[in-house]
Amino acid sequence: MKYTILLKQHIGAPCAACVKAGDKVERGALIAEPTGLGAPIHSPFDGKVAEITDTAIIIDAKEAEPKEDKFVPLTGDSEVELLKAAGLVGMGGAGFPTAVKCNVDLKGGYILVNAAECEPLLGHNIGQLENDAQKVIEGVKILKKICNAKEGVFAIKAKHKEAVDILAKLCEKEEGIRVHLLPDIYPMGEERAVVREVLGKLLSPTDLPSVADSVVINVETVQRVAEAVIDKRPVITKNVSVVGKLKGGTHTRVFYDVPIGTTVGELIERAGGIDGEYGEIVMGGPFTGKATTLDAPITKTTGGIIVTKPFEDLKGAKMGLLLCACGGNEERMRDIAKKMNAQVEIVQQCKQAMDIKGTLKCENPGNCPGQAQKCMNIKKAGCTEILIGNCSDCTNTVMGSAPKLGLNVHHQTDTIFDTVGKERMRYLTTSKTVPQLGEEPEATVTSSETGCEYTITQDVEDGLLHIDIKEGKNIEIELPLYL
Amino acid sequence: MAISEEYAKEHAKSPAVLCCRAEKGVVLTCHNLEDPAIFDDLVDSGLLNLDGVLTIEQVIGATLQDTYDSLTPLTPDKIDAIQEAKAEEKAEAPKAAATTAAPAAANFSAPVAGGTLKISIGEGKNIHVSMPLVSAGQAGACVAPAAEGGVAAAPAVNAEPKLLRSLTRHHYKITEVKRGPETKIEGTTLYIREGIEKDAVASQALVYDLKIDIITPAEYHTYSETIMDVQPIAVKEKGCELGSGITRVLDGVIMMVTGTDANGVQIGEFGSSEGILDENIMWNRPGAPDKGEIFIKTQVTIKEGTNMERPGPLAAHSATDVITQEIREAMKKLDDSLIVDKETFEQYRRPGKKKVVVVKEIMGQGAMHDNLLIPQEPVGVLGARPNVDLGNVPVVVSPLEVLDGCIHALTCIGPASKEMSRHYWREPLVLETLYDPDVDLVGVVLVGSPQINAEKFYVSKRVGMTCEALEVDGAFVTTEGFGNNHIDFASHIEQIGMRDIPVVGLSFCAKQGALVVGNKYMVSMVDNNKSEGGIENEVLANNTLCHEDAVRALCMLKARMFGQEVKAAERKWNPAVKDANMELISNVTGKPIERVPNETSLPMSQKRKEKYS
Repeated sequence: MKYTILLKQHIGAPCAACVKAGDKVERGALIAEPTGLGAPIHSPFDGKVAEITDTAIIIDAKEAEPKEDKFVPLTGDSEVELLKAAGLVGMGGAGFPTAVKCNVDLKGGYILVNAAECEPLLGHNIGQLENDAQKVIEGVKILKKICNAKEGVFAIKAKHKEAVDILAKLCEKEEGIRVHLLPDIYPMGEERAVVREVLGKLLSPTDLPSVADSVVINVETVQRVAEAVIDKRPVITKNVSVVGKLKGGTHTRVFYDVPIGTTVGELIERAGGIDGEYGEIVMGGPFTGKATTLDAPITKTTGGIIVTKPFEDLKGAKMGLLLCACGGNEERMRDIAKKMNAQVEIVQQCKQAMDIKGTLKCENPGNCPGQAQKCMNIKKAGCTEILIGNCSDCTNTVMGSAPKLGLNVHHQTDTIFDTVGKERMRYLTTSKTVPQLGEEPEATVTSSETGCEYTITQDVEDGLLHIDIKEGKNIEIELPLYL
Repeated sequence: MAISEEYAKEHAKSPAVLCCRAEKGVVLTCHNLEDPAIFDDLVDSGLLNLDGVLTIEQVIGATLQDTYDSLTPLTPDKIDAIQEAKAEEKAEAPKAAATTAAPAAANFSAPVAGGTLKISIGEGKNIHVSMPLVSAGQAGACVAPAAEGGVAAAPAVNAEPKLLRSLTRHHYKITEVKRGPETKIEGTTLYIREGIEKDAVASQALVYDLKIDIITPAEYHTYSETIMDVQPIAVKEKGCELGSGITRVLDGVIMMVTGTDANGVQIGEFGSSEGILDENIMWNRPGAPDKGEIFIKTQVTIKEGTNMERPGPLAAHSATDVITQEIREAMKKLDDSLIVDKETFEQYRRPGKKKVVVVKEIMGQGAMHDNLLIPQEPVGVLGARPNVDLGNVPVVVSPLEVLDGCIHALTCIGPASKEMSRHYWREPLVLETLYDPDVDLVGVVLVGSPQINAEKFYVSKRVGMTCEALEVDGAFVTTEGFGNNHIDFASHIEQIGMRDIPVVGLSFCAKQGALVVGNKYMVSMVDNNKSEGGIENEVLANNTLCHEDAVRALCMLKARMFGQEVKAAERKWNPAVKDANMELISNVTGKPIERVPNETSLPMSQKRKEKYS
């Protein structure tokens, strides 16, 4: 069985192969080294190098998945050396080399564990915490030491009650590790959104979290940190969520430790296989993922595989694109427009989206700057359709004007959400603030009559505080505002 | 879209509307508010109803009473309390307490410091404050009778105006133009040498043919090719430089350049004025012939295809100038006894008065858009430099140089808004500003309008620096044509405006020439349109800057310089705004402003019938 290991799996320069065709390789053996900013690549399989191409090393594997987790262990004296040798990169999607990111003195700052798992439908991060949070805690401890941080903070959405409970219990036993709850809106997992939510500091799009004495690192990356340092295990596998139009149902299947190089098609087969006709296959999440093909290999940054139902046919209708940092880039949006059979007439860009070295970054992720003008521009260009990829807040704003202007709103996640029967992104109904753990609702209710019965409940699902009052006169309710 | 703090201050009185969903309990800031600039469109689209809405200054700092969605107009029920606008209250407090003066009840002081009048009232009833309105040229003097010893009048600057230079025009009357064996003037008859056409053609490689027609009023109803330029026939007296000394000028006759290329294509870009002369000329505009004048009309045929290139129109003008130059030589021999009129223009420096500059954007896109600057003779060719070759950078000239023909206009934009060479000879804004004793016209800045945007911004930044260096208190920016050149026109205004210099823009806009770009400094604009339909109707000089525009612009700039508000324009072109402003001005000055007629006073040409009605 032949597997393709890409020489470029993330940002930075492509690696150079250090094996040649015909070489025998063991699982975990070094097969490619970085030529610039990058991370080494190890063989995910026992087998033989079949071919070296310009872009990949092809390995003829003995077996698709080993029966036991045996590998060539890493060597290295320090933790940072081990991270470097492990070929560890950010597994949330960006793929920045972890050893470079962690080569920083936070002077008593923070390790912010990004457990937002903000891309809808993906489940491997939360699943990981539910299954083996202890390993991630170990990873945090290692990172705290490497980066000289005084606190590790798990940033996780309040709605993941089980994972929150597990973490909260484990944190009780640990010094300087805590949980910070996030509201259920998109995007909370954006690096600067995590810093803003946890530390209350809004960084500019060009700032790194180190400006706020912090490092933001994805849950799975932290898990792999523990594996590299404790188990001397290189990065050869990846956790992946598979979801969509699949035989056996559209729910999310999580596959842990999928060997890198496994093809998208193979993984879909393992998940049950595609159920009939489909629209496209997306690698990544509904917001930031891109269309892929069945023969594409899984890389160190692959998080999700989504199979969609066929696209709606707009029959050549005129469409305006509203670009922003939250959704796909222009190429991706045009791809979706084309698949919907729409004619792109005008491209607008959210006021808050800044072009940073060719990538759009939001100045204040998740907080809308207003979109009425953009919608009007699109209307004026003669469009009947608008395609957006906006966050919850901006989408809500677009809904405030576009439909009244006679524009049919399409969100880039629509086809995916339709496939799995999830409600489309449209209006925002939940609050952007959630009470933190241990915060009791401090509402008081008074009435001119004695014996007024009331109950106060806090619902983490929708982030709302519910007060029920049976009966009373001249009722006054007081509660602090979460700002 | 959410607005900045600075922007919110500027639009303190504009309606406050949420730009996005805002949750209950939020303390409103500028980031929650939508840009008022788009409200008109939103109201038009039925997205917004501004009834009962509070202003921006009334809501910033207030707490939202519930969670509201984007585009929610903020009315009093939606916030906890209407915020008091601090600045406004200070200004209005003394005004509100109107009738009886009861100074004992109030703490009152009116120190004049740093040019700002400050009145603070601790407590009081029935306070009466009277102060003179700041009048033109007399800044900041104020008397508050209730106060004792707290008032200092601003020192009045009364330095004498200083004469910089003067220009005198000696007018010679011409009643007849004839052909003859030599070019000469006898009495009031001008003779043009027979066969001079050959010399004119020979002077320019690109000129294939040149015909001279003498058009007297009796021949006004004849066909002509498009009118490329109208020029005064003038010459400097010996020893005098352009812009000062004595200029001799012929009355009753003008040069008119017309032409096509060898394929018969009119030399004009956005429209051309070929047709029956008296149907296509807006008589007596600054740049046009006056009714009754004789035209020495050249009809130049240039090499095919060169009508859209720089050398083509230049060749047509240069060939015509061979004839004009021969007339100029003849004029030099004229006897003083033939002078029928003398007219002197004086340029004064007026210390202590508001310093203003006139920035004139002239076309410089190359192709058929160029101007010859500062020739030796009025509207001549010799000695001049094309502004395109000068890189279109700003060139400072004196107002008297403008009036003495320092611009030879080669431009071939739409005839209705093109400033002919004669336009500058009688430039109304320069004349109006030159003779206003309340302002000190420091000079005229000529800036070309390049083709490429990067170059447009290059030159407009130089305009900004020039105005900064001149330390002017106010500026006019004028332009001809519309569309492409409005990009730099807007940028000039921005560059000047961002230096805190009040600026008034003048351009043909109306319907067809509606501005394609804009910025926050473009708040005081004068539309040069005269046409009924608000369009470039190809009638020569119809929509150019006239006296009535200059008067409005000057009033507007004075208002701005003395801190008065210029009301925002209406969204759509409304000719009534001009009427109202003109009435307002004549009411104040007591002088009626005579309005120039427009194309409706002319016989309707076949083309106008077909194209514009």
